[in-house]
Parts: sequence; C-alpha cells; structure tokens
Amino acid sequence: MIPYLIFAIFFGLLLLGLHRKVIARIQQRPGPPVWQEILHMLKFSFKSTWIPRTASDTLFVAVVLIAIGIWTAAFFVVLAGGSLLILFGIYMLHKVVEHGFGLSSGSPYGKFGGVRSVISAASEIPLFVSVAGIAFFTKSLDITDIIDYQAVHGPLLWIVPLSAVAMYLVILTKMPFGPFSIVESKELVSGYKTEHFGVWRAGLEVCNGLKTYVLLMAFVVIFIGALPFWWLLLAMVVLIITYSFVCALTPMLAPFDSVTLQTLITVVMLGYVAWLGWFA
Amino acid sequence: MVWISAGVGIAAWLLSLEGIIPLWAYEAVLVADVPIFVLSLGLWWMARENEPDIPFIGY
Repeated sequence: MIPYLIFAIFFGLLLLGLHRKVIARIQQRPGPPVWQEILHMLKFSFKSTWIPRTASDTLFVAVVLIAIGIWTAAFFVVLAGGSLLILFGIYMLHKVVEHGFGLSSGSPYGKFGGVRSVISAASEIPLFVSVAGIAFFTKSLDITDIIDYQAVHGPLLWIVPLSAVAMYLVILTKMPFGPFSIVESKELVSGYKTEHFGVWRAGLEVCNGLKTYVLLMAFVVIFIGALPFWWLLLAMVVLIITYSFVCALTPMLAPFDSVTLQTLITVVMLGYVAWLGWFA
Repeated sequence: MVWISAGVGIAAWLLSLEGIIPLWAYEAVLVADVPIFVLSLGLWWMARENEPDIPFIGY
C-alpha cells in the first residue's frame, strides 16, 4: 500500500507535468519537461521555510496536513471500492481546506483565493452530486457495485454520458490553467496558496499529485470500469491530454462567468437526472 | 518526528502484512501518518530557517 501511495503521488505529478507540456505544445511554446512538477515538489521541500508574521500558525500548518490526509483517504476509498458519497464528502472537505489555506496566511491574495474557493464550491458541488444519476442504473453508489454493473452492462460512459460530462467538468475545475480555475488565477498571484512556500508548498504539491491521480482514477473506474493496471494508467494519460486541450483552447473565465456557467450546466444536469429518474 | 512517523508507517505496514491489524486500521494509520511524514521530512532537510516576514498586504 505504501509503495502504491508513493507511486500515485509521483505519477499524479507526472500527469500534471504532461498537462503543462501538452498545453505548451498546443500554444506553440516548448514548455517545461514533463517531470517539472516532481522537480517543483523537491525544490520546494529544500527551500528555506517559515510562517509569515501575519499568519495563524496552527491553521497555516494544519491545512497542509489535512490536505494530504484527506486525499490519502480518498485514494484508499477508491482502491477499496468504497462509496462515492465519501468521495463527494472529501471533495467538499477540500474546498474547506482551500478556504483555510487562503484565510490562514493574512495575505489579501490568499483571502481572495479562499473566498473564490467558497464561491466556486457553490456551483461545483451540485455538479458533482448530479453524477449520482448513475445510481438509477446501478442501484448503489458503491464503486464496487458500479464496477460490477459495468462488467455486465458495459461502460456507464455510454449509458449515462451526461453524468460523465458532469464529473468531467468537476475534474476540469481542479485542473491548473482551466476555464474554471478561478481560485488560482494570475491576478491573485497564486490564489489561496500564495503565502504557502517552501516545505508547506511541497506538501501542497504532494496533495496535488495525489488528488490528480485519485480524481482521474475515479473517473476511469466509475465510467469505464475496472481495467488492468497498465490500461488504467494509459486511460488516465489519455484523459489528462483531453483536459490539456480544453485548458489550452479556452480562456480562464471571470469568477462571475465561471459560477454562472457551472450553475447553468448543473441545472441541465439536474433536468437530465430527473429525466433518468422518470424513465429508468 | 520524521523517524517516528516513518517508523509508525512501516510498523503498520508490517503488522498489516502479518495480519495482526486489519486493512482499514492500516489505512487509517497512513491517513494520519503520511501528512506528518511528508512535512517533517521537508522540515528536516530544508535549508536553514529565516526570520518570519510580513506578506505584501497592499499599498
């Protein structure tokens, strides 16, 4: 379990590096090497580190610990085939953690990032819940049951495509440089994580690697089914390349537009779920 | 702290391999232990500490 956890962190960071590389190539830039995010994590871990004078010491450090802890838990939930509801819960906790990151530092950039995190949560979380439309078919939200259903009936990607779109959009909001990445937009420097540098940022990079691995793995498992290990990794690579194309070809939306668009999509998804409930 | 957290993680791994503790207990230990290990490892090998500063809070 420990070796797989370490692998997931590094592979997740490699996927984020690939994401940056593909975006750069689409935009006709050379881009960083694909292992850049791994180097980032190592570089930050060696840097001189302190807590800003304006920060709340306990919260400043605790949010980093919680961020890594909740995605470690999410990793085990997906591996064990646990309930999607737990994954929803961890996703919501992550929004709270982002808010905590922003508020703990005493920096206005961090605070704005934290506030935007809460704003975007209001539209992202209902979007995530619309994924629950799959329960009309599987009669369960346990990942194990979802996998068993797909083994008999085929991938849910073809059965409930709009639920797959909903989850795709949820993951898109967590992708760097995406149209909904308002918590990290450049006018806020680095958004909620502006003042978390050195070892604290290295911890956040570990969390990002694990989060990327968990969310992509969850998408593949929930909508395609159980795959052999190497096919799972390949599917995750293909998935992140599709995200890179979306991120490279779309501008980052203003916060109001981001929330409005996500809310409109959520309304469409809820209509779709209601339609599924009526006919399923 | 880095050695303690590493020791706890490895001990939980070995206990799980031997079947002494159930898988969920091993996973629960890791959920609490991994974040502490990651941060304490960084704080152990990082460059020297500096005086805290005040972040830019606007003009």
